[in-house]
Amino acid sequence: MPTTNITLSLEIWRQKDSKAKGDFETYKLSNISTDMSFLEMLDVLNEQLTREGSDPVAFDHDCREGICGMCAAVINGIAHGPEPETTLCQLHMRHFDDGDTLVIEPFRSRAFPIHKDLVIDRSSLDRIIQAGGYTSVNTGGTPDGNSTPIPSATAELAMDAASCIGCGACVASCPNSAAMLFTGAKISQLSLLPQGQPERKERAMAMVTAMDKEGFGNCTNERECEAVCPQGISIRHIARMNREFVKASFFA
Amino acid sequence: MLFIQFFKSSIGKKWIMACSGGFLLLFLCSHAAGNATLFNSLPLFQAYSDQLHSHPLIIAILSKVLFMVFVIHIVTGVVLFLQNRKARGTGYKVQKRAVKYSQASRTMIYSGLFILLYILVHTCAVSFGDHGTIGLTISYLFSSPLVILFYIISFIVLAIHLNHGFWSMLQTFGVNHPEYNTLIRNLTYIVPVFFLLIFSAISLLFIF
Amino acid sequence: MELKSNVPEGPLAEKWDNHRFSSKLVNPANRRKYSIIVVGTGLAGASASATLAEQGYEVETFCIQDSPRRAHSIAAQGGINAAKNYQNDGDSIQRLFYDTIKGGDFRSREANVYRLAQVSNSIIDQCVAQGVPFAREYGGTLANRSFGGAQVSRTFYARGQTGQQLLLGAYSALARQIKTGKVTMHTRKEMMELVLVDGKARGIVTRDIITGKLETYSADAVILATGGYGNAYFLSTNAMASNVTAAWRAHKKGAGFANPCFIQIHPTCIPVHGSFQSKLTLMSESLRNDGRVWVPKKPGDTRRPGSIPENERDYYLESKYPSFGNLVPRDVASRNAKEQCDDGKGVGTTNLAVYLDFAEAISRDGEATILKKYGNLFQMYEKITDSNPLHEPMMIYPAVHYTMGGLWVDYNLMTTIPGLFAIGECNFSDHGANRLGASALMQGLADGYFIIGTSIAGYLGSTEQDIVDNGHKQFSDAKKSVQDRIAKLLRSSEGGPAGKLTVDEIHKELGLLLWDHCGMARNKEGLEKALAELPAIQKKFWDNVYIPGTGEELNQSLERAGRLADFLEFAEIMILDALDRAESCGCHLREESQTEEHEAKRDDAGYSHVAVWEYQGEDGVPKLHKEQLLFETVTPSQRSYK
Repeated sequence: MPTTNITLSLEIWRQKDSKAKGDFETYKLSNISTDMSFLEMLDVLNEQLTREGSDPVAFDHDCREGICGMCAAVINGIAHGPEPETTLCQLHMRHFDDGDTLVIEPFRSRAFPIHKDLVIDRSSLDRIIQAGGYTSVNTGGTPDGNSTPIPSATAELAMDAASCIGCGACVASCPNSAAMLFTGAKISQLSLLPQGQPERKERAMAMVTAMDKEGFGNCTNERECEAVCPQGISIRHIARMNREFVKASFFA
Repeated sequence: MLFIQFFKSSIGKKWIMACSGGFLLLFLCSHAAGNATLFNSLPLFQAYSDQLHSHPLIIAILSKVLFMVFVIHIVTGVVLFLQNRKARGTGYKVQKRAVKYSQASRTMIYSGLFILLYILVHTCAVSFGDHGTIGLTISYLFSSPLVILFYIISFIVLAIHLNHGFWSMLQTFGVNHPEYNTLIRNLTYIVPVFFLLIFSAISLLFIF
Repeated sequence: MELKSNVPEGPLAEKWDNHRFSSKLVNPANRRKYSIIVVGTGLAGASASATLAEQGYEVETFCIQDSPRRAHSIAAQGGINAAKNYQNDGDSIQRLFYDTIKGGDFRSREANVYRLAQVSNSIIDQCVAQGVPFAREYGGTLANRSFGGAQVSRTFYARGQTGQQLLLGAYSALARQIKTGKVTMHTRKEMMELVLVDGKARGIVTRDIITGKLETYSADAVILATGGYGNAYFLSTNAMASNVTAAWRAHKKGAGFANPCFIQIHPTCIPVHGSFQSKLTLMSESLRNDGRVWVPKKPGDTRRPGSIPENERDYYLESKYPSFGNLVPRDVASRNAKEQCDDGKGVGTTNLAVYLDFAEAISRDGEATILKKYGNLFQMYEKITDSNPLHEPMMIYPAVHYTMGGLWVDYNLMTTIPGLFAIGECNFSDHGANRLGASALMQGLADGYFIIGTSIAGYLGSTEQDIVDNGHKQFSDAKKSVQDRIAKLLRSSEGGPAGKLTVDEIHKELGLLLWDHCGMARNKEGLEKALAELPAIQKKFWDNVYIPGTGEELNQSLERAGRLADFLEFAEIMILDALDRAESCGCHLREESQTEEHEAKRDDAGYSHVAVWEYQGEDGVPKLHKEQLLFETVTPSQRSYK
């Protein structure tokens, strides 16, 4: 597809700070190259707003390579936009048409308060990891890396789960605002690996309890999380967490 | 203590839904099997009913257990629905799903409530009547096309509810493996369609 | 400024042991009385925070992102080196040490590099114990690959996401310490100033990115793990928020800055598409194993690559370097690509790209084989450019990737300010003039997990310090200076944006100046020109930048402006350093210093030193100090790729 320039109408959620009410504002943007990434399009908008003397749109972003998990917004109702397994920073404008209206909203969840515009607070996810998303080993004195063989397939499966970038799209897209895919991925990764065995049960209990405390919703198996996950993490890991949690609850 | 903690947790509530749903599914199976006697003849069905009611324990215990499970399934479902609505906070302006064919999962609460309505009607009309003449009761009931229509609509709703419910139950139990997922996916259609066909056929028996 | 490297006595292989034995310790029961500030949560910062907290110190950790899991270490794809010799192919600590020091073109300190190789093995063990899902062989043992031209397979990897997995390992160790309360984590707080009391680093001033509030934090030692300064060029493979501010603030307070001109430029990046481009994306170098690099022979040839006949293509790397061909080292490949484009033979819409063609490899090995090797890279390329490398040659161009220079540190990783340590990419210590592939992750974790603990104990155990809290006058003074700086940044915005420039516009100008004159190939004339043009850009910034909003709110323009202000000052020592180093070495070619075949010529007699710059005040000229490099066990040799 050759590069062209398109004109867009943007409806963006503007909210001055965490206490302000917030509302949508509409912006017209012309001459957007289809080679731009979505965030570069927002850069162009912000340069335009700055020159007009208006407040640019605050949005989170950092690596712009789809791995840091910082960028986050819901585009026309879909977290990270319409392309599967793609973060917002890797979404390119060639997937939109001339004259399109894009509604850009922050990730919404009671557990993700808004700081400003599209910038949200995802520290609730950090607190889930702090509850038990680790192996309790100190630095030093660990056995040789090859002392415990791990079947290649197991390592790959653990890697599938471990690839989570912590962006929170699973929460944003879940009709119930549940964080099961995020939590399940970490519990699943460590329950698959021999290194995770000693604390397997305590971890499942602690992380699920922490998740519930943060005010995320309950999973009703809607599969939206899996559909928008930029890393394509399967809800199979939620199934594994369900098993782990029952084992931990009744057979600890 | 452990028990309470488990059932208060988000995953615990999933398990309640899945276990109670599973139990209700088993009840559906036995109900379908019993009703299937109608394919043979009305007297056979009446005999089955008489036999069933001749064991007071079955009725006394099972019906109460069944009632309890229904209540648990419904109450938990409603609690989940309300909690989940609260978890979102402000809703999205554009509401869109990334999953194709998510109609069943999206409407669980509504299909569930419709089924509740159906059950109320059905139990009032049939279960609480005189068991000695149940054969007559149902043949009278199904002589009305409107009743049949209501029943068939209810069975369709039930099938939609089961379409998501059956798969969801397995997922909650942790049954999700690439090797079996095709089979499970097929079952999510086969199981609801099976019940839809068998129950609809029974209600239609009386016009033909 | 005194540069005491504090390299321990004894034979190279015993130095680290000797050092640990002779170094002072802090009694476990006393450690909780000491507090340590760590700035940055990449591999180095997260691993250091976790390790020091495990040892019993009270740690305060800061990062500018919303979570300590997002630092740019996360983007490293390739892998991490270690001298495990699991493949039984002749690797050893000695060989990893030699490869690293030779790769750095003999511009790093022997003792530091040897120690890096020594602790490399423990890093792998540590990460495995944390549950990092490294790739495994079918038998269950750890898999290795050969990387960056190394002759042994010593690179451990987790798909193309090794950096992410290692960072998540360190992040989980950090999370565990946050839970225990030993680490107090401060997210979205940017270090704005370093605070010295009695000449020692005792704290920092931070700005809360959400509220704009300035806060001060005191401690007994400060560790900077704030990464590299590649974003001085505006376009680089670094994350958008990567910056030099913390290191530059330390420099202005007296920390020497070493080798600021040592910058690694990676040859296989996705080229710039237009002026809107915000960052560059790196693709694995392994692409050059099968891809052939070429440009049209005729400058300004706008035909599609497929319609340019074979005899009108210039496979310039193959013709110029017959024995290495397309596999010449990073710097040679990068430099030649830029030369071709400067000669007008560049391709693509911006004419700033060369082709990397897989047609021959595909016809030789078949599409399936090529896809098996490079499928994910092809996918990534297609996602960004919308062009399929199976059907059309890739376009690539070099991009700034890693900075070997950084704060000068001694063997203990302490800067010239007592109590201020620099770890990871932030310091200069291990990579000399060029970094080997898969060594950045190794260094970050070596510093954080295995070295800084000894250094901190050694420093605290041997230093008498008064108890200082942030009520001390130095803290209020430092906070005032930050307030003033923010006010100064916002001053030119009064009266609205008319006729003013945005932060990015000025940053792009600085980037272009550095790219053109202080990039891969440099010469005296160009560097002097850059030095002469820099003040005008600095002036333009302070007089004309328009920053919307105030300092007391989430203001991303203000954040960028503050970082750019420091890049603009920092650029001066970068250019000065490049000017002073009149030799070709490591990553860069000094045009005056090349062989008759136009190859880089190193000058060991004149430049076998670390160039360390000392700040001399607002109007002073930065002062150069030199740490001579002494090679006791290796003999510097010249590279040749002909």
